[in-house]
Amino acid sequence: MKILVAVKQTAALEEDFEIRDDGLDVDEDFMMYDLNEWDDFSLEEAMKIKESSDTEVEVVVVSVGPDRVDESLRKCLAKGADRAVRVWDDAAEGSDAIVVGRILTEVIKKEAPDMVFAGVQSSDQAYASTGISVASYLNWPHAAVVADLQYKPGDNKAVIRRELEGGMLQEVEINCPAVLTIQLGINKPRYASLRGIKQAATKPIEEVSLADIGLSANDVGAAQSMSRVRRMYIPEKGRATMIEGTISEQAAKIIQIINEFKGA
Amino acid sequence: MMFGSADALVQLSIKSRDPYVAAAVHELATGITKLELEALICGTRRTALAIARWEHTPASVLTALAGVHDEAIELRLDKNPGTSSSVLSGLYEEARSKDKAGLTKLIAQHLNSGTEVLRRIALHANDSECLLALSKNPAANAKVLAELSERASGSDIAVAIHKNIAQNASASAELLTRIFDASEVYTQAAILGHANCPAWLIAKAAASEEVLMMRVLARNRRVSKESLQRYAACEDAGVRAGVAANALTPVALFRHLIKDKCELVRREVASRIDLSEEHIEALSRDDDIWVRQRIARSPTTSLDVLYRLAVDAVADVRRAVARNSMSTVHLLNMLAEDTSAWVRSGVAYQVNASQRILMKLADDKDVDVLSGVANNPNTPQSILKALVGSSDTDVRRGVILNKSATRNTLLPLLEDPYYLHRVLLVHNPHLQAQDKWSLRDDPDFQVRFSVYRWAANICLKMPDTFLVTK
Repeated sequence: MKILVAVKQTAALEEDFEIRDDGLDVDEDFMMYDLNEWDDFSLEEAMKIKESSDTEVEVVVVSVGPDRVDESLRKCLAKGADRAVRVWDDAAEGSDAIVVGRILTEVIKKEAPDMVFAGVQSSDQAYASTGISVASYLNWPHAAVVADLQYKPGDNKAVIRRELEGGMLQEVEINCPAVLTIQLGINKPRYASLRGIKQAATKPIEEVSLADIGLSANDVGAAQSMSRVRRMYIPEKGRATMIEGTISEQAAKIIQIINEFKGA
Repeated sequence: MMFGSADALVQLSIKSRDPYVAAAVHELATGITKLELEALICGTRRTALAIARWEHTPASVLTALAGVHDEAIELRLDKNPGTSSSVLSGLYEEARSKDKAGLTKLIAQHLNSGTEVLRRIALHANDSECLLALSKNPAANAKVLAELSERASGSDIAVAIHKNIAQNASASAELLTRIFDASEVYTQAAILGHANCPAWLIAKAAASEEVLMMRVLARNRRVSKESLQRYAACEDAGVRAGVAANALTPVALFRHLIKDKCELVRREVASRIDLSEEHIEALSRDDDIWVRQRIARSPTTSLDVLYRLAVDAVADVRRAVARNSMSTVHLLNMLAEDTSAWVRSGVAYQVNASQRILMKLADDKDVDVLSGVANNPNTPQSILKALVGSSDTDVRRGVILNKSATRNTLLPLLEDPYYLHRVLLVHNPHLQAQDKWSLRDDPDFQVRFSVYRWAANICLKMPDTFLVTK
């Protein structure tokens, strides 16, 4: 039994940052990299299945990205993933979520897992489409925004609960293998133990080239993507207003705003 | 193996190639070694930016970063609460020469900004945001605020500046008096609530019928008893609540206040520690949960009342009894059996809880209860040792924060998966130097920084006495 977890190293921004000269992204100096928050939950869900199973379950984490991504993959290994695979080629720079989905699909075909987990979205780009594009390329059943999962290795069906608008849950039975995009809060992700971190530091990360998975530079990158970033910018400030004045005055203004909002 | 001197520690830090470790010991270094550390700290712009922004970065490192002359770094230094007065002074000169009002504003509001810099901003800055920021800064002394007030008088921002000054702790009695007459009621109320407000102004304002002023004055200990009596009969609940909270309110007024129609007033009365048994008895039967909760928490409440509140229908009231320092072991024993985990948790945190009670609560499944047991200094070491193995982070943190936890209990926690726990252990007085030093190669940069900072502080305090140990 094998579960493949697609993960991404995302960039968080400092309070003050600068846009790159080409206007397409934030200057890398102002980015703080870490494992995508949603992926922490996906990995934990895979680890829960592995740890509660009587049969052997292999958890493989896969990411598409440059060398720096190894740090996030090692974090996954430290938390208990068995193997880590990183795919990269400079030609993949500028790939959109659909192309990344295609790259992941080729790895998945090679790995032949029984289940694929991904985060609902990445915290930096928020397209929420990588996992779903993987399902599409694989032609597998898929479910998005999974908030609960009942599945045992070997089962040909899983029961999931999807998070919908208004706090509603939708219980769905899905055929396996399937691609599930996992929502925050489905579990409580663990911290990596010190022993795990030390062991992860010595574990190899399998570096895979495009050729290794049957792709070439012509299949990836901005040119092959269905969407391209035209510019990135900070919009003009919105309607937020700082309430000035003495404490009493601020309280009075807040009461006035609440009354206006309530129509009092 | 530990280092033997400040020099050895600095050399180890250089060898580590870790910018955060370099930052931790920077204060110890001189000459070429200091430059080597700075090369690590500024190794990449990305690192330098992160360290300039980090709230734990030592002031000496921030001073070194000011020499990089990178506007993005300077912005972070202007915002960093650890930046020293002298660095801010230099940054002000740069901001002024380049006409960077945004940076000047940050310096105007920085608590470490020196008087001279703030005075120059008061006299020369033309940006209203800078002047407004300065008027809020308690580091600006009375003279600077007076100069700012004088310069702002008659301008569009005078009202806003004076509002801020009215709330600034540094404002003098003279300045507050000068602002008072020319201000509207909100600012006047703020001035009346200011610690430096002259007594004669308070006495003069006491006759006012203005609700905002009465609300402030009713809480003021410099108001006469006659005024408090008048305020106690005021239609406005905020004014009466102020009287109920005022330590000088005559006991005779409590009779009315404990029956006040507004629960906000009764809650304030219930928070007092000078209530008679009769008042406590009446308030303990109040319909309002918060009133009963405050009585249940009061150290002056009698045991009889506490026993009655211990079976209150509301768990928050019962928990307040459990947290009351006057609750007896018998009462706590009873509450330890409560159906609500929140109440049992209150018992678990209670310093009067006996070892027997804590041992019973240690079998509880609720994380709040177990966290309380882990925190309680009366908990037996054997229980604390068992709680070290808890899968819950809060429970393990309780053991780390427990003042009675011994070295042997704490040692396994040096391997705790949560980095913050390891940082806390670096500061734990029960662990030995060698235990803390064992974390020097920790995977988390904040733990490494804490270890080296701890070691650097020892070197700074006792440069000749820190020894090599195994």
